[in-house]
Amino acid sequence: MDYAILKNEKVAETCYRLTLDISKDFHPPIPGQFYNIRCTDTKDPLLRRPFSMHRLFEENGLLCLQILYRVIGKGTEWLSTRKPGDALDLIGPLGNGFLIETRKDVVLAARGIGIAPLCAVADSVHRAAPASRLHILMGARLKDRVFYREELERLGNLYLYTDDGSLGFCGRAPELLVHLLETGKIPQRCTLYACGPAPMLMELCTLSERFGLEGQVALETHMGCGFGACLSCAIPLKISSIKKTPVWTKPALQWSEDGDRCYSLICKDGPIYDIREVDWHEWLA
Amino acid sequence: MSGLPDCSVRIGPLALKNPVMPASGTFGYAEEYAPFMDLNRLGAIVVKTITVKPRVGSFPHRSTEVASGLLASIGQQNVGLERFLEDKLPFFQNLETPLIVNIGGERIEEYVSLARSLDQQARVHGVELNVSCPNVSKGGMHFGVDPDALRDLVSQVRQATGKALIVKLTPMVTDLRPFAEICQRKGADAVSLINAPIGMAVDIKTRRSKLGRNLTGGLAGPAIKPLALYCVWRVCSAVDLPVIGIGGITSVEDALEFVIAGACAVQVGTCNFINPRITLDIIEGLERYMVNHRLETLAELRGGLGGPDTRGQ
Repeated sequence: MDYAILKNEKVAETCYRLTLDISKDFHPPIPGQFYNIRCTDTKDPLLRRPFSMHRLFEENGLLCLQILYRVIGKGTEWLSTRKPGDALDLIGPLGNGFLIETRKDVVLAARGIGIAPLCAVADSVHRAAPASRLHILMGARLKDRVFYREELERLGNLYLYTDDGSLGFCGRAPELLVHLLETGKIPQRCTLYACGPAPMLMELCTLSERFGLEGQVALETHMGCGFGACLSCAIPLKISSIKKTPVWTKPALQWSEDGDRCYSLICKDGPIYDIREVDWHEWLA
Repeated sequence: MSGLPDCSVRIGPLALKNPVMPASGTFGYAEEYAPFMDLNRLGAIVVKTITVKPRVGSFPHRSTEVASGLLASIGQQNVGLERFLEDKLPFFQNLETPLIVNIGGERIEEYVSLARSLDQQARVHGVELNVSCPNVSKGGMHFGVDPDALRDLVSQVRQATGKALIVKLTPMVTDLRPFAEICQRKGADAVSLINAPIGMAVDIKTRRSKLGRNLTGGLAGPAIKPLALYCVWRVCSAVDLPVIGIGGITSVEDALEFVIAGACAVQVGTCNFINPRITLDIIEGLERYMVNHRLETLAELRGGLGGPDTRGQ
């Protein structure tokens, strides 16, 4: 379906924030869901590209969807040249979405553009449990790649990190989280929401086991269709930890003949998973 | 001429109201596309490969986009025959569109068992033999490249089913014509081609395949259209069987190229992922083309490639 672009703002060196009027959408997205967007006027790139919902709000009587993206290739380069008034071809909202927990302390752990879906979580937590404390871990390899500071400071306690120590904590998100838990700045009875590179998420999974944290992760991968037809985005799950709820029905699970392996489709069952149900080692092998 | 043109085609015992269907493996079990379109408008529906037992499929990192194409290794992930009959087939009870089930296996007995079982199902109108899966080590590819194996397979499956029998051929052979001739002699009602040729893509940073442990994948999308057209044209010169053209169709113009090259019908693959309604766009475009060119039947267009020496050498 085509939606009109209201704004397409540059928010950092290679990052943009797109605002679309989705007033005609009868199924507004929930945090964690995504849209598969046609990023070309031609056949190059051929396939759509998936983008998570960043924020959703009403303004001037319009229902506005925001998408936060980093320019990393032809598709996002094209997207960055779109102007207000241009139409964009979206399929969505797709996928399952986060389960919003109303614990007192909520941790959002991101790296780079991984912050995009977590801001929607922050908005939902603020609405569902105004007394919750939000702790946001945001960083990148270098100081220059850390962006969105002012927006994140408005959402909660912001802890910055860089791999080289040029800004904030010297290290990566898992190491920063250990530091914050061990120094009591974040209590261990907290809920973790994370989005970033898979190796970072795998390390956070290890920490969630060590500290007994509940957690959900937003995953990213190559997708062909986004709606469960191409079977490209399969991910192995730990068969003893598969989490099904009335919301997370996991309609696309595929078991092996002998029942010892189970693959899930990120586009249908995900892109949000419980941090402990993903078989990280098998996925990243 | 009054009303809509006659786009109908016949494939063995099967009458299709139009020649456009989705290609197996790109349309799931059809239910995935119900939110996007009226499935009853399709000429036929071809569902993804079913095997006797469920298959979990290839390792992750199954696909990567390449120039004008999609390289993918899905490895015949499917629910298996039993769950297909119990969970997926009931969806088709409320549809009128003919259903063609693509079947795959490692041994002839598996194909025969699948064909026999599906032959009992009133809602199934045809089977398409996957003799050319590029992504399963024993996924039937040997049937598609070994004339003797193909002869035995088609002959035995023909005994097992009275439904329409289509054989989906691979281009990974020197000359497709002898394979199509075998299909005709052994009683197939049609051949469909081409299945995805095998390809690779390498990540120069990690020095690994972009498909990870799968190493290779089937190449699909516009990148293979010229190859597919050539194969269709060659095969049409060799057999009197209906030929279903597959490969990189993204528009009605692409579909028309296949019909002019000799195809009686087309299957649309990768483009379903990009525009889930592409098959309907092509059906409408075909009707418009026929009206504009005063064609009353599709047969008037089929194989109408002009110029000297239009028969395959």
